[in-house]
Amino acid sequence: MKLHLLVSIAVLLVAFLPRHECRAIEPPGALPAPAHQPALQQQQHLPLLVRLGEEYFVRLGDGGRSQSVIPATSADATVRKALDLQLTQRLLQSKVDNLSRFVSSLAEPAERGRRSEEPPISLDLTFHLLREVLEMARAEQLAQQAHSNRKMMEIIGK
Amino acid sequence: MRGAMSVTFRVHLCFFLLSLYVLKGQSRYLEEHEITPERVLSLLNSELKRELSDEFVYRRPLRCLDMLVVEGQFTFMADRPQLSCAAFFIGEPNELISIQYDAANIDCAGGDFIKIFDGWVLKGEKFPSSQDHPYPLYERYVDYCTTGSSRRVIRSSQNVAMIFFRIHSAGSGFTITVTKLINPFPCNVISQTPEGSFTMVIPQQHKNCSFSIIYPVEIQIAELSLGNLNDVSLKRSPWGCAGTGDFVELLRGNGMDTSKMVPVADLCYSFSGPAQMKIGCDNTVLRMVSSGKFVNRVTFQYRLLHQHELEKLRGNNLEDFCDME
Repeated sequence: MKLHLLVSIAVLLVAFLPRHECRAIEPPGALPAPAHQPALQQQQHLPLLVRLGEEYFVRLGDGGRSQSVIPATSADATVRKALDLQLTQRLLQSKVDNLSRFVSSLAEPAERGRRSEEPPISLDLTFHLLREVLEMARAEQLAQQAHSNRKMMEIIGK
Repeated sequence: MRGAMSVTFRVHLCFFLLSLYVLKGQSRYLEEHEITPERVLSLLNSELKRELSDEFVYRRPLRCLDMLVVEGQFTFMADRPQLSCAAFFIGEPNELISIQYDAANIDCAGGDFIKIFDGWVLKGEKFPSSQDHPYPLYERYVDYCTTGSSRRVIRSSQNVAMIFFRIHSAGSGFTITVTKLINPFPCNVISQTPEGSFTMVIPQQHKNCSFSIIYPVEIQIAELSLGNLNDVSLKRSPWGCAGTGDFVELLRGNGMDTSKMVPVADLCYSFSGPAQMKIGCDNTVLRMVSSGKFVNRVTFQYRLLHQHELEKLRGNNLEDFCDME
């Protein structure tokens, strides 16, 4: 009898505890969909760095030598140059490293480790630009999610 | 006796009816509210399913410099020589990135390449650092020209990955499909947003995990659980956390590599109740070091610093390094 009573109380608690209102889960810090979204889509074919509409720094250099930093504007020729975002030419350097690693296979492990820790390919991009492209990508995700939801509602409505 | 039995019978009946009522759908734990494309598709006939499944795959051209948060199919087609291109991939903290080569038309012998990196590399600094990543650096780059069709699907070890590519000839290119997989115990994470909260759990594994926020933030540690709760040896040490196997540290810096960042605080005792810090650097990292003997857990939240807070931080600091308080 007592067992029945306890179980009944437990079931009642499960059934009748107040529930939270269902709501859409929003990721924290979600950006509102940009007002210029159609324009954004039209501009998809334009160089990305022009759309950012601000100065950015292009590192032109090769082979790990000291590199010059050129502030660029959104002029066409400069943008074309800027789009050749020179990956730091560690690709060439890595080939040299591979050779020297092969030759000096008896080198100290620590020394070998230090040399191999240098990423052979890297991208020179400021944090500021990185955040800009990240925010644009998140706006794209929101737009795509809205489009996907609209499609689903159309299907459900059929 | 007869009266007692009927009372018992009534109790049983009431209990049975109550259970039926509860299970009719009033229990919120049994209901699923999430409507996903997959669930909708499963309700349709096969022909309609085939027609519509294509619509649900997001497609667009890949740019020479790109950032992808969405899943989908992306095609890069060079209209002229593109010698220095890279795309970043990032997911939610509990996701892994899976990249599949659908097609590739490049001239490897002519110097074209496509390399996928397990992590992010920026200005020669990589995330996760070599100390925190399970694989050595040379294994983190997967070269299409070397592996070819033997590795068509590459999966990242954390929520970020990158692709580097160089195409010399117009008309050459490749197509990839990006999908996300769930990671139940995220270890190394880059936050997509400057605000959020997270709980990092390392379940008795000997590894180091970093949570990187590439914004100047105020970070607040709400709860930290290190080791066995009954382990009295894990108490506050006046000499810092040196020598302890399990601790959490806060790092600041202006690069991606956590091994090159400056520690600003370390915690090697369990506590609850917020401990907060403002860090005005390009990168703020919470890093947990775990010996593998215990289940360690840390819960924290973070928010973007406002401009006036940044200015105040800079005003209070004389060093030419990024600022903190």
